[in-house]
Amino acid sequence: MPIKLPPGISAATFAEAVKEFQGAVGADWVFTSEEDLDTYRDAYSISWGHDDEYLASAAVAPDTVEQVQAVVRIANKYKIPVYAISTGKNLTYGGSAPTYSGSVVVDLKRMKRVLKVDDKRNFALVEPGCSYYDLYQHIKDRGLKVWIDCPDPGWGSPIGNALDHGIGYTASPYRDHWGAHCGMEVVLPNGEIMRTGMGASPTSDTWQDYKYAVGPHVDGLFAQGNFGIVTKMGFWLFPQPESWMTGTVHVPKYSDYSALVDHCNYLEDAHLATGQTGYGSNLGGQGVTAAPEYRALMANGWPTIEQLDAYAAQRKVPAWRAKLQFYGPEKAVRASWAYAQRRISAAIPGATFTDVEFSTLPLSPAQEKTHHLVNFGIPNMAIFQIVARPAAGPNNANPYDGHTDFFAVVSRSGSEVFRAMKAVYDIQKELKIDPITATPFSSPVTWHHKVFFMGAGGVGNQRGDAEHNRRMRALYAAYIEKMAAAGFPAYRTNPGAQDLLVKQFSFNDHALLRFQEALKDAVDPNGILSPGRYGIWPKHLRQKKA
Amino acid sequence: MKTFIAILGATTVLGVVGSAFAADAGQLAMGKERFDYWCDTCHAGDPREAGRFLPGTASLNAKYNGSRPGALVDRTDLLPPYVELVIRKGMEGMPFFRKTEISDTEMKAIAAYLSRNTRQ
Repeated sequence: MPIKLPPGISAATFAEAVKEFQGAVGADWVFTSEEDLDTYRDAYSISWGHDDEYLASAAVAPDTVEQVQAVVRIANKYKIPVYAISTGKNLTYGGSAPTYSGSVVVDLKRMKRVLKVDDKRNFALVEPGCSYYDLYQHIKDRGLKVWIDCPDPGWGSPIGNALDHGIGYTASPYRDHWGAHCGMEVVLPNGEIMRTGMGASPTSDTWQDYKYAVGPHVDGLFAQGNFGIVTKMGFWLFPQPESWMTGTVHVPKYSDYSALVDHCNYLEDAHLATGQTGYGSNLGGQGVTAAPEYRALMANGWPTIEQLDAYAAQRKVPAWRAKLQFYGPEKAVRASWAYAQRRISAAIPGATFTDVEFSTLPLSPAQEKTHHLVNFGIPNMAIFQIVARPAAGPNNANPYDGHTDFFAVVSRSGSEVFRAMKAVYDIQKELKIDPITATPFSSPVTWHHKVFFMGAGGVGNQRGDAEHNRRMRALYAAYIEKMAAAGFPAYRTNPGAQDLLVKQFSFNDHALLRFQEALKDAVDPNGILSPGRYGIWPKHLRQKKA
Repeated sequence: MKTFIAILGATTVLGVVGSAFAADAGQLAMGKERFDYWCDTCHAGDPREAGRFLPGTASLNAKYNGSRPGALVDRTDLLPPYVELVIRKGMEGMPFFRKTEISDTEMKAIAAYLSRNTRQ
């Protein structure tokens, strides 16, 4: 791809700035060749090769906070937009590409130090280039008794993931990675360093223990935002539990789902079953949409709850299941599972309980081969099976080059899940997606402990197929707009859709975005930091867009 | 994209008839260490042995269907330029790697390690 200059910057000015960047971080760590900049494209972009693909003009890789400060000051001097990445592995949400073409990527991968892990007060302090693997290995090498909570791709950054509202798989206080952060160090758009929370106190030792200093809590400005470059961040860690237990609840009727969800909410919020609850329908699964009885069920449109109850009764299998997970001392987890069974048995006639497993922790090497590792805070890359070539199937000769996730935020109630699954179905039907993947047996995911995320499948990209990618962009935009209209906005999205997603949060004439813009203009008057990230544009670019 | 596929095809064919590559023990050790750090998580040997789904090995097993090993460490036909190309350009669902992740020196070491069994 041809190299883009920052908009409005002449080649001569850019060359001067590049020379200053080289002076700040060393010539080896400033990348300007086409070959190098190709590695700063978004490998999973559904705009790959199109005019609207986001491309960097250069990349600069500082190794210290002081170098980050110098880079930001140079950017201000020349009014050059910069865009920070941590490990650059935010695939499906932008990868290592900027949100505004022509930006200089500030690649923080070299800043990968684990600064502190405390297994008495249970926290870590890391730099942005540190990956989940790095932090996990640091803890393992030292025999520390704490777990990390990682998302599916283990090569991501705890900081980058938390800043994009990423989520994980262990106990509820830790799965919300942003929620589990405590304290950060930020290089502000003027190049100054700021520490948040108790880090603002020169004398306190509680930077990673107590989130709040006094006054407004400003950390939120740096998540999905563009108010500073985070150079250190603390995370609360899960003290290694003694044991883990799981058991699966089955309920007979389709309409039992609402009660099942209510009880699982209770068990999680009361800190009895703090692991991720795995919902599923015994009536769904692979190939269900091809079955004649399913086609008959759907022949006259979306079925009623009564029809779905009758369908479940005819199939003679429990309609829904929920796999509960417990962490803690053996007596406690066994008692919690016994309580869960008593509670649900008393409330839902016909509920049954299977698949009970108990294990002390840590898992043995043999167990690590059979268990879902992220439930135990062990990073891996198994999730990439969704873009790997399957042994058989239509994608074998031409697997996707990536995928673009869409997950809508849905409240933890059965009736809202029913509405959300129908909303996905309606969109796919309207756009004539074949096959329609949304069914009355779709299940939400429970990464976050206070809301469900409902996925909408079918957005895979092919780097060499412009027409396919055009259709995918249209489908993705439809998901963003139509799901929000139905009450289910997405929690996170790729740069190409961030303006559209932010537009859906329109209460009182977009008061939230207007407030963020006012702050942006105040703290970043030159608008150099990550312009356009999650719809926050600096003044001169807002005027251009209007 | 077509050019890229043509280059991959050419280097793969060359790999079958190419000569062995000189690499010193230090470079091979670095290559193994960096391979284990960056690549093994998707491209390790036996998925059952590893105890987790290995997207790279599974994908290559399906692609070659027994004609070549799915595990990169078992390959005897890899040429360094091919390995370097895949690292910097990616391959299907595998994204490319930046120099801040895998430096040129490390990339060459990984390439030397993976082509250590390539015979003339």
